[in-house]
Amino acid sequence: MELLGYIVPLAAEAAEHGEESGGSFLVSPGLGLMIWTLVLFLITMWVLSKVAFPKIQEALDKRANAISESIDAAERQRKESDELLAEYRARLAEAREQADDIMVRARKSAETAEAEAAAAGKEKREELVAAAKRDIEAETRRSLDQIRQEVADLTVLATERVTRKSLTGEDQKRLVEEALSEVDFSTLSGSEKN
Amino acid sequence: MESATVQGAPGGATRSNDPEKKGLSTKAKVLIGFGIYFALAILLLLIFGNDGKNEAFKPQNEFKLEPWLTIELAGIDFSINKAVLYLFLASALTIATMTWIAKRMVEKPNRVQTAVEVAYDLTKNTITGGSLHGELARKWFPFIGALFFWIWFSNMLGFLPLPTNTEHTFSIGGLEIPSFAIYAATANIAIPLVLTLVVWLSYHVEGIRAKGALPYFKSWLPPGLEDMHPVGKAAIFIIEVISHFVRLISLSVRLFANILAGHLLLLFMGGGLAVLLGIAALGALTFPLAFAFFIFEVGLVATLQAFIFSTLSAIYIGGATSASH
Repeated sequence: MELLGYIVPLAAEAAEHGEESGGSFLVSPGLGLMIWTLVLFLITMWVLSKVAFPKIQEALDKRANAISESIDAAERQRKESDELLAEYRARLAEAREQADDIMVRARKSAETAEAEAAAAGKEKREELVAAAKRDIEAETRRSLDQIRQEVADLTVLATERVTRKSLTGEDQKRLVEEALSEVDFSTLSGSEKN
Repeated sequence: MESATVQGAPGGATRSNDPEKKGLSTKAKVLIGFGIYFALAILLLLIFGNDGKNEAFKPQNEFKLEPWLTIELAGIDFSINKAVLYLFLASALTIATMTWIAKRMVEKPNRVQTAVEVAYDLTKNTITGGSLHGELARKWFPFIGALFFWIWFSNMLGFLPLPTNTEHTFSIGGLEIPSFAIYAATANIAIPLVLTLVVWLSYHVEGIRAKGALPYFKSWLPPGLEDMHPVGKAAIFIIEVISHFVRLISLSVRLFANILAGHLLLLFMGGGLAVLLGIAALGALTFPLAFAFFIFEVGLVATLQAFIFSTLSAIYIGGATSASH
């Protein structure tokens, strides 16, 4: 208690001294100013919390939403484009396969056609050759008959000249036929008979 | 005179050392700069000498509140003075800037909007969100956010020279205009103190509301004292009570003293020291430092103190309401 009695006047004296030197007002708060502060701060806080802060928050939320939406949209689009890409790749692979298939088939059919053409050509040629042979044979036979006929006639004529006697047609013909059958005409018909 | 030549010597010596070099090296430039700087101060000292200590000049009077309009209500002095003007300006500037920007918020922000968004995010998520969660954060964010912005605008306004020094006036066309001076509302103890009182009462009320009166006061005791003798517990409790009251001083004086000290530094460096000591030459030495301190105060201290005040407020409220002490 005695100590307190000592300290209080000392503090008062210090404060007084401070007042004299003009510095104590720095650390002595005025009640009026404190109330001014409180009122003005509360008004500021009220306006900030009613007007400024909600608006700023709203704008920030809006932007955050916009960002997350655009991220989602980008993700979605990426997925879609991935799917599209995969689809196109599949289609492309399929198309390539088909193209290869077509090529293979075309090659095969070309080969077949070629072979068929070759076979047909060969057949045709053989046919032609055979026909030509038949024609030649027939012509040869006709020519031989004709020659035989002419030889017979000439022989009759020659015999008539020689013998001055004409035989009856029947006799002559029989004679010539007999003679000619003894003659070998095989040499005239060429290589066929050989 | 002798010392002047000595100070000038390093510059000259460096120049003669490398004559083949056209441009001076950075080191040489710095040395020449300092040489000129000190030489000028010494020259001024030789010209003007020492006028002796100036007893009439009281730098603290820059912070004295002269009532411009005396108002007294119920025995309380509500006089309009420099501090009240600065409070009005700070509040008006806070409200105007914040609402103006808030109303013009766009999807793609410009630089100012980005800065405000960063500050808003800082108050909301770092300062408030760091200590308070859920409903409590929602409830106290307007208070803590307003504290930050209001103190910040108030601090920044304190570095804008305004014609507020009615003690000294100058005349333009016969009109007496108060001298331009810098002053900050937060350099007056009353202002941080009342904010501190609001924080202090708020966190106790919030603590009692969250835990109930008795459990709240019990929670002041740090955990791990369950087996302690009641006398020991009582002693620790008393220390805790003192620490809570000390918060009133630490929170308010931190802001007040930082801003006051910053302004005093600017005052002294800007010429106050030279006037006070009567050595004009000192002004040449301290004046460049005033620029450095100005940048330091505006760029760091003003924002840092607003941040610390609001962060500690959030921590106190969070500490009072959290489950474990």
